[in-house]
Amino acid sequence: MSYAYLFKYIIIGDTGVGKSCLLLQFTDKRFQPVHDLTIGVEFGARMITIDNKPIKLQIWDTAGQESFRSITRSYYRGAAGALLVYDITRRETFNHLASWLEDARQHANANMTIMLIGNKCDLAHRRAVSTEEGEQFAKEHGLIFMEASAKTAQNVEEAFISTAATIYKKIQDGVFDVSNESYGIKVGYGGIPGPSGGRDGSSAQAGGCCS
Amino acid sequence: MHEPEFHDLSDDSDYAASQQQGLGGSVFGSDPGMTSGFNEREGSEVVYSKDNVTIHPTQYGSERISGRLRLVKQGPSLFMTWVPYKPSPDGADFLGNNSNSALSEKDRNLYTITPVPLSDVRSVRRHTPTLGWQYMIVVLSSGLAFPPLYFYSGGLREFLATLKQHVHIVRSADDANVFLVNDFQDPLQRSLSSLELPRALSVVNGVSSKDLASSVPSFENSERLNGRTYYVNPNTSEYSRRHKHKSHDPARDISLQVLEKFSLVTKFARDTTSHIFRESQSNSFDSYERKQQKQSPELIPAISTPSEEQSHSNDGVVEPDPLEFDKINLVWGNPRQPPLSSDEWAALLDSEGRIMDSNALRKRIFYGGVEFNLRKEVWKFLLGYHAYESTDAEREYLASIKKSEYETIKSQWQSISPAQAKRFTKFRERKGLIEKDVVRTDRSISYFDGDDNPKVALLHDILLTYSFYNFDLGYCQGMSDLLSPILFVMEDESEAFWCFVSLMERLGPNFNRDQNGMHSQLFALSKLVELLDAPLHNYLRQADCLNYFFCFRWILIQFKREFEYEKIMRLWEVLWTHYLSEHFHLYICVAILKKYRKKIMGEQMDFDTLLKFINELSGRIDLDGIIRDAEALCICAGENGAACIPPGTPPSMPIETDTGLYSSQPEDL
Repeated sequence: MSYAYLFKYIIIGDTGVGKSCLLLQFTDKRFQPVHDLTIGVEFGARMITIDNKPIKLQIWDTAGQESFRSITRSYYRGAAGALLVYDITRRETFNHLASWLEDARQHANANMTIMLIGNKCDLAHRRAVSTEEGEQFAKEHGLIFMEASAKTAQNVEEAFISTAATIYKKIQDGVFDVSNESYGIKVGYGGIPGPSGGRDGSSAQAGGCCS
Repeated sequence: MHEPEFHDLSDDSDYAASQQQGLGGSVFGSDPGMTSGFNEREGSEVVYSKDNVTIHPTQYGSERISGRLRLVKQGPSLFMTWVPYKPSPDGADFLGNNSNSALSEKDRNLYTITPVPLSDVRSVRRHTPTLGWQYMIVVLSSGLAFPPLYFYSGGLREFLATLKQHVHIVRSADDANVFLVNDFQDPLQRSLSSLELPRALSVVNGVSSKDLASSVPSFENSERLNGRTYYVNPNTSEYSRRHKHKSHDPARDISLQVLEKFSLVTKFARDTTSHIFRESQSNSFDSYERKQQKQSPELIPAISTPSEEQSHSNDGVVEPDPLEFDKINLVWGNPRQPPLSSDEWAALLDSEGRIMDSNALRKRIFYGGVEFNLRKEVWKFLLGYHAYESTDAEREYLASIKKSEYETIKSQWQSISPAQAKRFTKFRERKGLIEKDVVRTDRSISYFDGDDNPKVALLHDILLTYSFYNFDLGYCQGMSDLLSPILFVMEDESEAFWCFVSLMERLGPNFNRDQNGMHSQLFALSKLVELLDAPLHNYLRQADCLNYFFCFRWILIQFKREFEYEKIMRLWEVLWTHYLSEHFHLYICVAILKKYRKKIMGEQMDFDTLLKFINELSGRIDLDGIIRDAEALCICAGENGAACIPPGTPPSMPIETDTGLYSSQPEDL
């Protein structure tokens, strides 16, 4: 399937906060509580539409454990968007946000759009981080913020799509040189060619085929 | 015209017998009239000279280069030299055969053996087939070997006898046909020398390593020989016969096969394929060549580098695999065998339950794996939990001791009260992480599925106990993947724990916080690819993929996520034999990468695309085929492959230091 743009996303955050479940909910619209733990990185993809343009999201779902930070850092390269996830029922996952953010700032390009997600908001009775704290952190660090639930699908669609909309707006505003793939954006067939003419049909098709 | 160059390996005459016949005493007079070619210095004496000693540059009997082999004594030193005859005007050689009109003067010169001091020779392997001509392969101490020299007019025995007069030679303890020229003082050295034989694949004399690289694809040609020679199929009767000679070093069997194979290959190499590949292969085995040169500087002048070799391949065209896996119909690796059966297993044990020949067992498992119901018993040996030489009774005793030891360690964390845990953050974090992970491990396998499955609780208890047994390392994601099949097979908590402990003795560094174990393996992998597929290496370098992070998951958990459950048990038991190499898993990595090299390079994959591609190979890799490819690669790489892998690289036993085995850092979980 052809697309106007392809955006690379990366999902980061402590282990067990629900990164893989958010991805599965977004790509397959289902919740699988016994999802195999992620080793290294897993991939997902889905087409969305923004401004009547088909946009393909290629999403990298990373392993959360501290030991794997050094390898996770190599995945930031060329990401247009990041979902930084914590678990509202586990305070420590919120406390670690700063170090995740530091990694992202250091290893991703400066224009990467970051969405902060407080996951598991269906477990309000076990809440350990208030919505206000999440909002406050996002505001301080210039992030978009949402609380979501991979289990109930609440805000999952919105989180991925509003991140894409933000990236799309940055393209419209000329923040990115879309012909430079280091921004995590590829122009597909039917997209707006960048200054250097964008990509030819065949390569866009190749991109379009891969899931 | 006969085609005698395909020989049986069976022995005929015996060197000792030749000694008794007094041939050892004969000294061949010098022959000043026959100095064709090299500049003899004053005071040198030709102690042996033999005409019609011939090299076969191709597999065709019609193509050969005949020359004169001589041993020249100069002062205390002995030199060997072989100089090809100048082609006679009528093209006839000494036997009156019309030979090698296709061979150019340059080819002849390439093969010339300029005087080599015998102090640089490690061994001479003689071949005295019942049919056909005798020949020998001379291996230098650098590991380089000359092409086989055929004695058309006899004289191999005399050659060895003369050699014995002037230098110290001993018959190899491993093989009666191998004569070690410079004695190795200790038995370890001696056995190492036989292990090093794969290096002789670099059959070089004036043939540069580049020529070698380009010659390798000519294995295609060897198909023509199928059924006529032991070179092609290591399972032919000749191989079995040799194999029966005695119990042996497994590496030796293989190294000899390889030696033969590559000697043959070099014979093919010259004017058939080398010029075809030379242009596109310019970078192949570059590092290899550098290494060779370093090892034997005296050979450098002999190595020819024809100028056309310097040219570079065209952009946009996938460089051919130097080992040409894709095109080859001939599969090098041994066919996979059925798994080890109960009857075979019983036959390997003595009356008290000792394993009589652990090498034979490891070899058998390497080629076929183990039947499922035997795994519970056999894995304990492979993992090193049980010693091969232990008896049934000893193992039974060990099991009871270990069971109580396990319970003691387990009780350490079980006795932590909630009040204590509240003040023990590291324990809480570890326990929490393990709890989260065991419910995400292999739940699709029926053994672990369902709510409140007690097997999942066992995973938890074993992992948490391990994190107390090895507090420095603790728990890290991936460990549950490694434990799961072990528990599945052992079906016993304590036994599974101790097997896991044994496995972690080797793989623990994979989970070091500083990732040094992973980095050393990824580094070794990059070196192996450089050795075995230079074009792919070059591609990955220019694509900025040399960190090999795309193979991270493969190595971290030994391909656990790449194969289905039954297959992973098979692969693991093969890896755990450490039969061809402790690092066979790295050759598996190379084999997979080479299988998809065309796609990777042809589609110009960048890091992201490659990572995704590799991830998506999960569940699609043909295990048996890959093991065979990896076997071939491992044999092919030989000692050069081993040299790519730094000491202490997992799963080698870690190098112990005063500070403990694992780098422990405050944040460790």
